[in-house]
Amino acid sequence: MIVLRGISKTYGRTTALDDLDLEVREGEFFCLLGPSGAGKTTTLKTVAGLEQPDSGTVELDGKDMNGVEPYDRGVAMCFESYALYPHKSAYDNLASPLRSPRHRLPAVQARERIGETAELLGISALLDRPVGQLSNGQRQRVALGRVLVRPARAFLLDEPLSHLDAKLRQQMRAELKAIGAVRRTTTLYVTHDSVEALALGDRIGVIRDGRIVQTGTREEIWYRPYDTEVARAFGRPRINLLPGAVAPDGGFRSADGEVELPIGAQASCGTQVLIGVRPRDLTLGEGPGHELTGTVYVTEVLGRSVEVTVRLGEQHVSLVAPRGDATGLRPDDPVRLSVRPENLLLFEADRPERPGRRIGP
Amino acid sequence: MGWRLALRPYVLIVPALLLTCGILYPFGLGLYYTLFDFSASKPQPDMVRFENYETVFTQEAFWNSAWVTVLYAVGAAVVETVLGVAVALLLHRSSLVGRVLEKILILPLMIAPVIAAIIWKLMLQPSVGVINHLLEPFGLGGVQWTDTPTGALLSSIAVDVWVYTPFVAILALAGLRSLPTSPFEAAAVDGARWWYTFRRLTLPMLWPYVLVAVIFRFMDSLKVFDIIYALTEGGPGDSTVVLQIRAYLEAIRFQRYSFGISYTIVLWAVVYLAAMVLVKHLGKIQRKAAEVK
Amino acid sequence: MTMRKRLLGWLADAALILYFVFALFPIAWMVILSLKPTNELFSTYFSFSPTLDGYRTVLGDSEGIPFVRFFVNSLVVSVGAVVLSLLVGLPAAYASARWRFKGSENLMFTLLSFRFAPELTVIIPLFVLYQKLGLFDTYVGMIWVLQLVTLPLIVWIMRSYFADLTPELEQAALLDGYTRKQAFLKVALPLVKPGVAAVSLLAFIFAWNNFVFPLILTSNEAQTVTVGALSFLGGDRPKYNLTAAAALVSVVPPLLLALTIQRYLVRGLSFGAVKS
Repeated sequence: MIVLRGISKTYGRTTALDDLDLEVREGEFFCLLGPSGAGKTTTLKTVAGLEQPDSGTVELDGKDMNGVEPYDRGVAMCFESYALYPHKSAYDNLASPLRSPRHRLPAVQARERIGETAELLGISALLDRPVGQLSNGQRQRVALGRVLVRPARAFLLDEPLSHLDAKLRQQMRAELKAIGAVRRTTTLYVTHDSVEALALGDRIGVIRDGRIVQTGTREEIWYRPYDTEVARAFGRPRINLLPGAVAPDGGFRSADGEVELPIGAQASCGTQVLIGVRPRDLTLGEGPGHELTGTVYVTEVLGRSVEVTVRLGEQHVSLVAPRGDATGLRPDDPVRLSVRPENLLLFEADRPERPGRRIGP
Repeated sequence: MGWRLALRPYVLIVPALLLTCGILYPFGLGLYYTLFDFSASKPQPDMVRFENYETVFTQEAFWNSAWVTVLYAVGAAVVETVLGVAVALLLHRSSLVGRVLEKILILPLMIAPVIAAIIWKLMLQPSVGVINHLLEPFGLGGVQWTDTPTGALLSSIAVDVWVYTPFVAILALAGLRSLPTSPFEAAAVDGARWWYTFRRLTLPMLWPYVLVAVIFRFMDSLKVFDIIYALTEGGPGDSTVVLQIRAYLEAIRFQRYSFGISYTIVLWAVVYLAAMVLVKHLGKIQRKAAEVK
Repeated sequence: MTMRKRLLGWLADAALILYFVFALFPIAWMVILSLKPTNELFSTYFSFSPTLDGYRTVLGDSEGIPFVRFFVNSLVVSVGAVVLSLLVGLPAAYASARWRFKGSENLMFTLLSFRFAPELTVIIPLFVLYQKLGLFDTYVGMIWVLQLVTLPLIVWIMRSYFADLTPELEQAALLDGYTRKQAFLKVALPLVKPGVAAVSLLAFIFAWNNFVFPLILTSNEAQTVTVGALSFLGGDRPKYNLTAAAALVSVVPPLLLALTIQRYLVRGLSFGAVKS
């Protein structure tokens, strides 16, 4: 179990972490998602004891870690830069934690463990090579291996799949959670890739500017995003956000007056808002829920489905439709769209100082 | 824990700090001595406050030494820079000849300056010297190299140039090799002439490297001692008595310790000021070069 | 065009060769002079009957100048100065590369200022001080004062090597279960080993080549080759061939070492300001 309370950390004038709270439950696989510079790595290093927070406490398994040296915290970390020892072979890199004074595993057992881990990560053939001769993807797997090879109170993984090629990344993403050690061990996983976070995280924390914006399961994050930024972070193509205001009857009326949706907003009349709908929740043609009409702007084939961009007044919205439904659509063709009311998300309008928050329960 | 963490770097630098203090102590002691009239003939000195400095600045010998020092430093630094950059440019062409010669470029630089001065003294010497022998066919035999004031100064500068040109060349060559290639390719595609490329691209981007070398050379030659001591001992007359030689003569030859140290303190101040100005300049140049890149 | 280009290439090579004649001829001339017998010293230039007598005389201590001892002295004080600087300087360089802390920059700039300080500012007071302390003309005294040369070099350059090393390597070692000392010794130090070797040799060369410290702070017992070589020029009858032999013997160690560390010279010579 990892608990961070009120962690703040500044480097000179820049604030890396700003009163950050985070709780990772025992055995959980927790994904920390955020853009670069949000404080993800600093959070990991604070847990590991490599960075000293200016204020706040770190607890591991209920014990306050203040003053506990990194080597006594019993956590294992995979660095985004790999941090492999360049003067040693892949085998010696994997053996390093096992030979350390903390573990001191007999050589035979160590060899066994390293063999198993290497097998798991598909790097058995590379063990004798100096890490300098390995590709970035291979290095990244060795770095991951150095973490998995030993028992730990928690795994801290900093973008451990970012340098793999697309195919291998997909495969490793699928396998990572199935690895026994990972299943048993509390894992804090840092990524900037929302697909990875959705695929892997038992729970997801969204971090921005050194603060946790929202924590929740993938369903909570997807269906009840805290604000427009979180909504934009998940899902490709991105969520459609139409600017407008709350009408006297509580419905939504777009800024150009072309789109009206009766939604029963819990906001006073005239409030500037954004209405959000994900491209996969918009259906081409007639269907249940609200109907909208517009003209085709452009279509783009994405394999079996098609992304259709539709002009609604002055706004564009995109939707993803099965290929069969979209064949024959030409630019400027009139189209009907439908959306279920439960798939509509209402946000405050974005402000310069912060993104608009979601309105509603 | 907090204080133990904060203390750790200090534990590591304590030995270096102590040793540094061991070197700063004599410096401080010297500064203190300059306020007295301490000499071999007066081992129980009296406080004279700033009298030593007043004497330094009112002595014609000081201004002569200062002038000689500046001539030497500027002369050596300029010649070494021009020659060193030229050698670096020629080596950068990386012809077969260049690749062979590059390996022995550093040899003069690794010879102790005092030994270099000895070598040149033997070459310039009127009786066994080989230079006059080689110049004889050109009707230039019998030059009194180190026996005329101008000749002595030029000879000293020549030794400095011989030893330290490789220093400038090595740094400039490293600079040339680290320049990005794309601007040069673009210039070549545009059909730019060599001189234009050199003026507009090579020089501005190379300048920070050269300036590092110039700063080192200029400040080092302000405090030249070995070469002059071995080559001319400051002569003939006072013609090559640079400041450190003057300080040596006063403090060690004439054993007027306080007065001799005053000379070195003044020189130290000059070097320090020169360093501040040059380093500031370096910062500006580096920023400009970054823009060119 | 190609003809013109080729011509320019030859001109450039010729210019280079001209410079290298200027750079190498003095050394060649020293070799020639050192091989001359005394009786041909003034009567010949390039054709003479070469002899090793000059070297025998210099290394046989027969002129009343114990040159072999000077050579050993140079070796002892230079090695001593480098070892002391390494012991003291490596931890300091590491600390100032890894942590920002009060006083670190002050120490670094004090050390840098040593590099540019006129030596006599320190030596004249030391000359007085050493006579009181009994350090005049001793190894200890020389090793102490040579720190002025070796310590700034070693600290500054090693700091630049440590700074180039990502701290994450040592952090990984800490998380692997090693202590900070082990992380330094097993991870950081092996990776900067070539740098340590190169900077040690360079510091050795500079210590060996130093002249003004032994000139003033030694008289006989701890005197080094640079001062020793000059003393062949003294006396009533200067012995030019012996001077040449002594000069050559004293430049052999630095020249040999310098050729082995070519790759690292740029960073060393510029105090880490220029990396190659």
